[in-house]
Amino acid sequence: MAQPVVQVDNITKRFAGHTAVRNLSLEIPAGVIFGLLGPNGAGKSTTIRMIMDIIEPDEGRVVLFGGALKGRDLSERIGFLPEERGLYKKMRVIDHLVFFAEIKGMPSRAARQKASQWLERLGLHDWVNHKVEDLSKGMQQKVQFAGTLLHEPDLLLLDEPFSGLDPVNAQVMKDVVVDIARQGKTVLFSTHIMEQAEKMCDHVVIISRGQKVVDGTMAEIKREAGGQHVALAFHRDAGKAARVLQDRSLVAKADDYGASAELELAAGADPDRLLQALVLSGAGISRFEMVEPSLESIFIAKVGKDAAVAVAVEDGPNA
Amino acid sequence: MHKTWAVIRREFIERVRTRQFLIGTVLGPILMAVLIMAPILLQRNTRVKHLVVLDAAQGQLGSRVELALVKATRDDKPGGAVRYRVERVVAGDRPLEAVRDSLVAMTDRRELGEKSLDGVVLITEDVLTRDTVKYLGGNVGSMAEMGALSRIVRQAVLLEKLTRAGIDPNLMVASVKPVDLYALKVSQGQLTGQSGEASFALAYVMSFVLYMALLLYGVQVMTSTVEEKTNRINEILVSSLRPFQLLLGKIVGVGSVGLLQLSIWAGTAWLLTSQRLAIAKAFGTSPEAISSMPIPDIPAGVLAVFLLFFLLGFFFYSAAYAAVGSSCNTVQETQQASMPVTILIAAGLMLMFRLLDEPNGHLARVLSLVPPFAPFVTPVRNSLSPLPLQELLASVAVMIIGVLVMAWLAGRIYRVGILMYGKRPSMREMLRWVRVR
Repeated sequence: MAQPVVQVDNITKRFAGHTAVRNLSLEIPAGVIFGLLGPNGAGKSTTIRMIMDIIEPDEGRVVLFGGALKGRDLSERIGFLPEERGLYKKMRVIDHLVFFAEIKGMPSRAARQKASQWLERLGLHDWVNHKVEDLSKGMQQKVQFAGTLLHEPDLLLLDEPFSGLDPVNAQVMKDVVVDIARQGKTVLFSTHIMEQAEKMCDHVVIISRGQKVVDGTMAEIKREAGGQHVALAFHRDAGKAARVLQDRSLVAKADDYGASAELELAAGADPDRLLQALVLSGAGISRFEMVEPSLESIFIAKVGKDAAVAVAVEDGPNA
Repeated sequence: MHKTWAVIRREFIERVRTRQFLIGTVLGPILMAVLIMAPILLQRNTRVKHLVVLDAAQGQLGSRVELALVKATRDDKPGGAVRYRVERVVAGDRPLEAVRDSLVAMTDRRELGEKSLDGVVLITEDVLTRDTVKYLGGNVGSMAEMGALSRIVRQAVLLEKLTRAGIDPNLMVASVKPVDLYALKVSQGQLTGQSGEASFALAYVMSFVLYMALLLYGVQVMTSTVEEKTNRINEILVSSLRPFQLLLGKIVGVGSVGLLQLSIWAGTAWLLTSQRLAIAKAFGTSPEAISSMPIPDIPAGVLAVFLLFFLLGFFFYSAAYAAVGSSCNTVQETQQASMPVTILIAAGLMLMFRLLDEPNGHLARVLSLVPPFAPFVTPVRNSLSPLPLQELLASVAVMIIGVLVMAWLAGRIYRVGILMYGKRPSMREMLRWVRVR
């Protein structure tokens, strides 16, 4: 197998009072979209910062592109979008992008050309000479995105790239990321939005409280989670199904969302019997489907209900 | 290097593009031009005042006053521009009040043109006994004009008193004449032709400009540091540059802006002062009047040392300001946090004023070798009398060491500070940041 692009070797980082990352190892193979998942405070940002050499691990080491150079020295080959990201408000959009490219080591003429191309692609060509502060928030995020990508890095490190984006812009960015991955570049992104990770990632690592709890390709993870899973949706009287969902002879675990639910059948339980019970309960069923376990359910199973609550709360202010 | 250069260029271009820079750069020279031109224009525009001496006294008193007024010049030197156009009206047998009122009726009436009077000096017989001269005029509100008038009249009355007492007034005038001390500056065995007053004025102005420039541009570095924090842009920067590269680029960038602006100002000042005779001629003012003003010639060497020490001082203080900025979260927070640095700069200015009395004294020599104060002390001392080369070099060397130490310290704090959010660190915590690997 080819040399992994990022090799994180047993790193630990302690801050005053707590350990943010504990004995974490992971390998990112070339050309994949790699999801780094976990509730807030799990150590995702700290891990990415250590990969980028913004902070140094107390123990362990990070190897990039199989060489000895650190993240900062490789800034020409890496596109890094931090979780905390901003722009110089008074700068003109084009100058700002050129500056971003220059500090990564790109010659300014080439940078100017690339910046124009990216602004064109992201639909910002009318704003090239405007000041950043004149742009809407969504447009500013696109500028940031362009600033991360325009030096055509081989490795993208995106920390919560889609947080705070409206659905339209999120779609645009997602397309860009997928497109880049198709060109054989490697993408690592962190998120706590599972649907997104599930749709995009080839490989997933879930960390919780600084430690790795899941590591594998999407297929491996789902296979490993095992069990029989059923996706349910109701169009009326969902409450009547509650007793069935609590029947431990049929259902091992249920993520009840009110109008829909995802169930894991109890070992040896027959899906037909479950359907029968549901129909008899009087609830109006609009969907009953045997499915693979969703990433979300795996996440909740591995990280625990507490963390799931934390995720929901943390979604608010971050958005 | 390319990366640092990108930061330097960004800081420079973004600042030079702002309206504040444009206004400041243009306004400075305009202000200087006004300061230099105003006296020239004022000299030209002062009107010759038209006075009448109403003479109702016996003997020579009235004509003495008239003569004194006629001879009075604007700069109190013989041959200068005259102050007054004087007529003497003798009351004779007419009632004094009637004559006076007819003269007053002609006073301060512009529409009469040439005939309009500015004022009437009333010389009555009791002037000598009551020691009071009455003046009726439109300009009695002007302290300067009344002061000059009373001085001239007093002199005339004194002469008359002496004559009546039988004393030769010429002898008297010659004996009470004050002796002037005409101080000319000698530097390194050479007469500079500059008056002490002029080099003093230069030293004063230079200390103020240094003070303002160091404060202004130092604070700009601090503000820009803290803004990068509030804008949350640091993490992007630090993922591509070393914090020290960023700090260096920022300081050099802002410093170049300061140097550019100061050079424009210094260049204008040099041009205006060295060409002031030509300017005066263009405005039709006598060159003598201009050279009597305490405006110094500024030697190019003095300016060069001034700019060099501005740069060294700027590097020193802006590094300190950057460290302060990196430890704060908001611009408001920096105001309090930057007090120690600001006080140090203010102390430099204060010390400078004390040292003007004895620019080559022991204290002055020592302070030229203390980094926080040398940027003030050395160039100002050098403007008063050029310093020996070895003393100048020693001061530069000490400053360079000071700058390096400060840059190292500031770099250590900056590196940790720019990625820290939340409570402002204490002095002790910042010292710990310096020590961590």
